[in-house]
Amino acid sequence: MSAQQAVQAPARGNERVEELKRIVQRIEVGNRIGVSVLWVIAAIIAVLFVGIIVYLLVQGAAYLFVPQFYGTSDAGVGREIFNTFYILILAEVISMPIALAAAIYLIEYATQGALVTAFHFAAETLASVPSIVLGLFGVLAFSISLHLGISRIAGALTLLCLNLPLALRLFESALASVPRELREGALALGATKWRMIRTVVIPSALPGIVTAFILTAGKIIGEAAALLFTMGLNNPSNVFTLDPSIASDTLTTHLYYVAGPGAGSLGLTTAQETTITAGSATLLILLLLIINLGARVLGRYIERRVTAA
Amino acid sequence: MQVQQRSQASYAADHTARIVFLICAALVVLVIVAIFAFVGANAFKVFGEGANVGTFFFGTNWDPTGNGGFTPPSFGAGGLILGSIVITLISVVIATPLSFGMALFFTELSPRWLTRLLQPLIEIFTGMPSVVIGFFGLVVIVPFLLRLVGNIVGNHQTAGFGWGAAIVVLLIMILPTIISISIDALRAVPNSIREASLALGSTRWQMMVNAVLPAATTGLATAVVLGMARAIGETLAVSLVLGGSSLPSFKNLLAVFFQPNVNITQAIANGFGEAIGAASDAYYTLAFVLLVISFIFVSISRYLASRSVYK
Repeated sequence: MSAQQAVQAPARGNERVEELKRIVQRIEVGNRIGVSVLWVIAAIIAVLFVGIIVYLLVQGAAYLFVPQFYGTSDAGVGREIFNTFYILILAEVISMPIALAAAIYLIEYATQGALVTAFHFAAETLASVPSIVLGLFGVLAFSISLHLGISRIAGALTLLCLNLPLALRLFESALASVPRELREGALALGATKWRMIRTVVIPSALPGIVTAFILTAGKIIGEAAALLFTMGLNNPSNVFTLDPSIASDTLTTHLYYVAGPGAGSLGLTTAQETTITAGSATLLILLLLIINLGARVLGRYIERRVTAA
Repeated sequence: MQVQQRSQASYAADHTARIVFLICAALVVLVIVAIFAFVGANAFKVFGEGANVGTFFFGTNWDPTGNGGFTPPSFGAGGLILGSIVITLISVVIATPLSFGMALFFTELSPRWLTRLLQPLIEIFTGMPSVVIGFFGLVVIVPFLLRLVGNIVGNHQTAGFGWGAAIVVLLIMILPTIISISIDALRAVPNSIREASLALGSTRWQMMVNAVLPAATTGLATAVVLGMARAIGETLAVSLVLGGSSLPSFKNLLAVFFQPNVNITQAIANGFGEAIGAASDAYYTLAFVLLVISFIFVSISRYLASRSVYK
């Protein structure tokens, strides 16, 4: 070992330290840049979403205080509001029991395996069918084959197809969240399966069931494409009946028609059209916000009641 | 004796309940089979009524009613299909990195209070009525694009409508979908993976890029595929801002995106109502095309999900 090498060693060590420092610095800078980019993306998306909601709420808020907006003539949406809630109730009455029963079968009765996988594949496929295609299916199956014509009941049946997969998934997760011990307790006391479901499973799953109810309601209120051709775009002279065989429009289909294909051809002034479209959009957003908040609050309230009892 | 009767009755009720539940579950399968059967049965009729397969998929003159009966009908859906593909692909390509970024932020960086605010925001947007977003596009995005590109494109009356506006609208509609599924995928990655990466001296960014993202690949791919499925079938939002009845001229490639244009769903929404006979059969064919495409997307997402390690 020469003296020269001994002198050089510390210098090389210094170089190595410098190099490592540079690497660490580069990694740190990379980290800082990466993390800031994520913050920026999140900020942009959050601002975009909040901005859209606030814009939609504000732009039409004034129209909600004009009595004319709720009128039952062509210049108001009184009929459409009634129709929206009518079809909401009709569709929920038809689809909720079916979805709940299907969920009960899948969770409580079916043995996990190929059958359940097949059911889930069917439900997922159904969930992915575009709603306009469901609308055309509704025309073929309900309006033509079942001779229901363009009517509220045809629309409600189409909404059943639209709603089943979402309702099924929400109900399934509500039922699956009930602990196994509760079921075993009921069965050990000699209850039949049906009695166990009625008296133990469903009450314990109630918060989730109510939430599912409300969230599917939001989907029904917002749906339009599936109803365009099954429920029509026009109203008969009197819509304020419970007759399910009449055609009628809803807030969403009416908004679409007035803003899109029907713009300028409905005998309305531009100001009246704006009142209808802007007001309806704000009303829909408002309903959606109420539904989302309601689902949260009610779900939590029931949970507290049930777990306290 | 009485006890025996009662237990018999309760067993009968149990049995009935079971059968009723099974029927309801079978209904889900029945509905999807019926959709394929009904739409499929009507999808091929049009080819015996004057359309041929080549012009249907590659022709660009879509006029199934023949101008209301004055001219021979023409079934060229190539332009519609092109429109659906272009706006779906471009919006998904833009939405994917943004969604992954947002999902990473949400699961890895966001402080608790912010998560609590962002969660309902994303949920509300997932259920946003498509017609409301379409209305937003109509009153905000279209005029904005008109001001932005009106001078380049020229046609001042209708510039702003078209693929460009449709892409922006679709972006708004599929962002929440891709974000929420990506968040589920990232949350499914166990914390031990993160801890292992950090313990090896990774920075947070290295941990996210080199450990968390690769571990969640299949879940993230599922998110993108389901986003595409939603984009291709999106109807009213898109049709409000497309505003055209045929493909514009392709002389100026930039202008193509800002002139009234077409896609499959818009054609159905605007044309099906007045169609009868061969014309309505042509729309069933379009619907079947959409149905098959979304079925392919779901099958891909199922396949990806079956391969994912963390669920």
